[in-house]
Amino acid sequence: MARYISGRIAGLVLILFMVCLFTYLIFFELSPDPALMICGKTCTPDRVDQIRSSLGLDKPFLVQFWDFISGLFVGRDYGSGANLVHCGAPCLGYSFQTSQPVWQMVTERLPVTATVAVGAAVLWLLLGIAAGLISAVKEGSWWDRTMMGLALGGASIPNYVLALALQYILVVKLQILPFPSAVSFFDDPVMWFESYLMPWIVLATGYACLYARLTRANVIDTLAENFMRTARSKGLPPALTMRRHALRPALTPVTTIFGMDFAALLGGALITETVFGLNGVGKMAADSIAKNDQPVIMAVTLLAAFFVVVGNLVVDLVYTWLDPRVRIR
Amino acid sequence: MRRTTAVTGVTALGMLMLAACNGGPGATNKAGGGPGQAAASGGTVHVLATADFSHLDPGLGWDGGVNNFYRLIYRGLTTFGAGAGAKGTKVVPDLATDLGTPSDDAKTWTYHLKDGEKFENGAPIDSAAVKFGIERAWDPEMGGSPYPRLLIDAPADYKGPYQSGDLKSIETPDAKTVVFHLKKSFPDFASALTMPNFTPFPKGTGAGHAFDTKPIASGPYKVASYVHGASLKLVRNPEWDKSTDDIRAAKPDGFQWTFGLDGATIDERMLAGQGTDADAITGTIQAATVSRIQTPQLKARTLTGLTGCTTYLSMNTTRKNLDNVKVRQAIEYAVNKDTTVAALGGSQLAAKATAIQPPTMLGRKDYDPYPYSLDKARQLLAEAGLSSGFSLTLDARPVAAQTAVAVAVQESLKPLGIKVKINNIDTSTFYEVIATPAKQHDMALTGWCPDWASGATFLPPLFDGRNITSTANNNLAQLNNAGVNQQIDRIAGMKDVAAANTAYGDLDQQIMAQAPIVPLDYDKVVTVTGSNIAGAYLSNSYSGGIDLVSVGLKDAGK
Repeated sequence: MARYISGRIAGLVLILFMVCLFTYLIFFELSPDPALMICGKTCTPDRVDQIRSSLGLDKPFLVQFWDFISGLFVGRDYGSGANLVHCGAPCLGYSFQTSQPVWQMVTERLPVTATVAVGAAVLWLLLGIAAGLISAVKEGSWWDRTMMGLALGGASIPNYVLALALQYILVVKLQILPFPSAVSFFDDPVMWFESYLMPWIVLATGYACLYARLTRANVIDTLAENFMRTARSKGLPPALTMRRHALRPALTPVTTIFGMDFAALLGGALITETVFGLNGVGKMAADSIAKNDQPVIMAVTLLAAFFVVVGNLVVDLVYTWLDPRVRIR
Repeated sequence: MRRTTAVTGVTALGMLMLAACNGGPGATNKAGGGPGQAAASGGTVHVLATADFSHLDPGLGWDGGVNNFYRLIYRGLTTFGAGAGAKGTKVVPDLATDLGTPSDDAKTWTYHLKDGEKFENGAPIDSAAVKFGIERAWDPEMGGSPYPRLLIDAPADYKGPYQSGDLKSIETPDAKTVVFHLKKSFPDFASALTMPNFTPFPKGTGAGHAFDTKPIASGPYKVASYVHGASLKLVRNPEWDKSTDDIRAAKPDGFQWTFGLDGATIDERMLAGQGTDADAITGTIQAATVSRIQTPQLKARTLTGLTGCTTYLSMNTTRKNLDNVKVRQAIEYAVNKDTTVAALGGSQLAAKATAIQPPTMLGRKDYDPYPYSLDKARQLLAEAGLSSGFSLTLDARPVAAQTAVAVAVQESLKPLGIKVKINNIDTSTFYEVIATPAKQHDMALTGWCPDWASGATFLPPLFDGRNITSTANNNLAQLNNAGVNQQIDRIAGMKDVAAANTAYGDLDQQIMAQAPIVPLDYDKVVTVTGSNIAGAYLSNSYSGGIDLVSVGLKDAGK
């Protein structure tokens, strides 16, 4: 087991390194010159060169890449003389547009993104799995057909449409909820809940619908298995067969998907955060792309990759516990 | 991953447009009892914004939106007047006692500071602080306006106060007097001093972009808290003395910005006006919202005006066919500006352009050199021997409004047999590409906003043939016309600023005879204010944004 985990972690590091290399290469080659963006609309070629050298942008690719990687572990300095700015480890870069270390920008916004992701996850797991289970047990009933119809519809509504429609109905027309804002739980728990409720609903809707369909299909498959027939023929009560024998195998694939989905969400819910004006990592990613703030785009890409890779590892480990057949010896 | 990325692109573009629009324009609202009535003292004005400010450091930030904000926390030697219409473009003294005394053929300028002016930390705003603040502009890590470096005589290797120390050409004979030595005669120096990177700071402060997070205020407000991309709170600066400041009414006790809101959400909030949104202002509303302003109550809360910017189609005069002035003139006659205005959101958001300079400019001449006429266009093309037409490539951004304008141009030129191929360039690299003569194509869709309301900051930057550079080139038409160049030099030598501005009005017409660009529209702003907002008007000097130094609340106790 220890060997398996250490092997997986080595692989994880390699993947993250490759992600670093490729994103860095892409931004190095394809993106506009940050010096020009700083220089503004009336700018002389001399001035651009001056800014480039001050920011270290005139160094060769490998040198810049090495500076970036080593900065992750030991920190690094930007600029020179009185303008020297130290970016402590883990230095994910320095945004010349906001004059802030990127790590600080990310950590400031991560709580908002985590709040959105966790709340939505709770909602979609509860709703999605419950609806899927009931549908599977009552397969073919009006309940099943209605739920699955709704699930198909719900999964088809784009996030931003649902967000704006909900906002119009709940906030503007009925005035039940306030316009969402990133209120801290500790300042005002009620306001906090009301503010995040809409983002949670919007984000959870699509996932809940997919999870309901997935759960239903898996449970129906499991119910048709030989061991279920055996359990039933032994005379076990239906509730017990369901709980003891059906749920665990039926829900393992859901676990896999959930790990990936949730990890991806920690990298930022771009649309939901943007529509509701919540300053999370996703909103920051969208803003940085609009402003072409490369260090931040780089960092968000890396962060998202990190969460997905780690999420995958966690899922695999949980899997071995859930399903003894894949247990590693 | 892919789906997310694609959607991100779309969102990002939308936001970029909003951000660009948010800088906003200026005009007058005459509705009595509306947002224009006198403001009461006290309360907090809320500002809803799609995007954060570019920079709080005036040595870095430089756009209509942030310049307007800077006036709340910073003061300069001079500034723009506070008021609607022409009042807002008039240059007036701020920290200085007057607009300066020129000597040596306007190559040397002397300013005196008023008594009792202090920074938020209680330190006096003296001549050393003025000198230091301006010297920062030479630092290699500073951006901002080019005017300090362009005008003040500095050694070529001078790199700002942090690296090179003292700049000899700004003298401080005593604590209240500053003397500037310029590279050449510049009679309109008082106007250049309104630019944000002439802001004074206590000597030795502000290295390493410190002001982007914690500015040192000289104006009526100071920063109480700032979370990048999320919120900004201003409170009163007790060291600011109203008796030294004729410009800033500074009625509210504070300002509260919320950044990063979705454009559609802002519009909904402004229309609904619930809670503190009644005390809120914002930038220009979305094109889709304009048609929803129907009731008299909403109309009374709406301000409209010009941004002071011109959207234009540049024609590269070095390219085949376009090097013939008759061909360019034919295109001038053929472009149907009704369709380009419609593409930009209709007459509420854009006014048809005829001259290069928009109506907010001082000394501007109103004329229409090329009224729409397909017959004249065909005749000119025939004279050029191109009756059967030819093909052109138009550089544009893949953003809804820009694409719509590009298509309108494409359709306009079809009857002449001119086939326009639209070349979409990603928004993030668009300006870099078109400003590189080796990369730009036949035509480009872009715009220009002046730095102050004088042709000096509109026409020479775009049409001086000696300023064509291999990168960062603003003369997109690459017009290099001896007559135009001569006239630019002649006006630059004029000592009477008002006469010079009038001469720029004539130069505008002289340039249009060469048809280097097709002025498409003068951009407009439509903004909705909260029902409790007073003292609001659009400033012609801040891209039509609501002038923040005058805005306040009707009832501060609400």
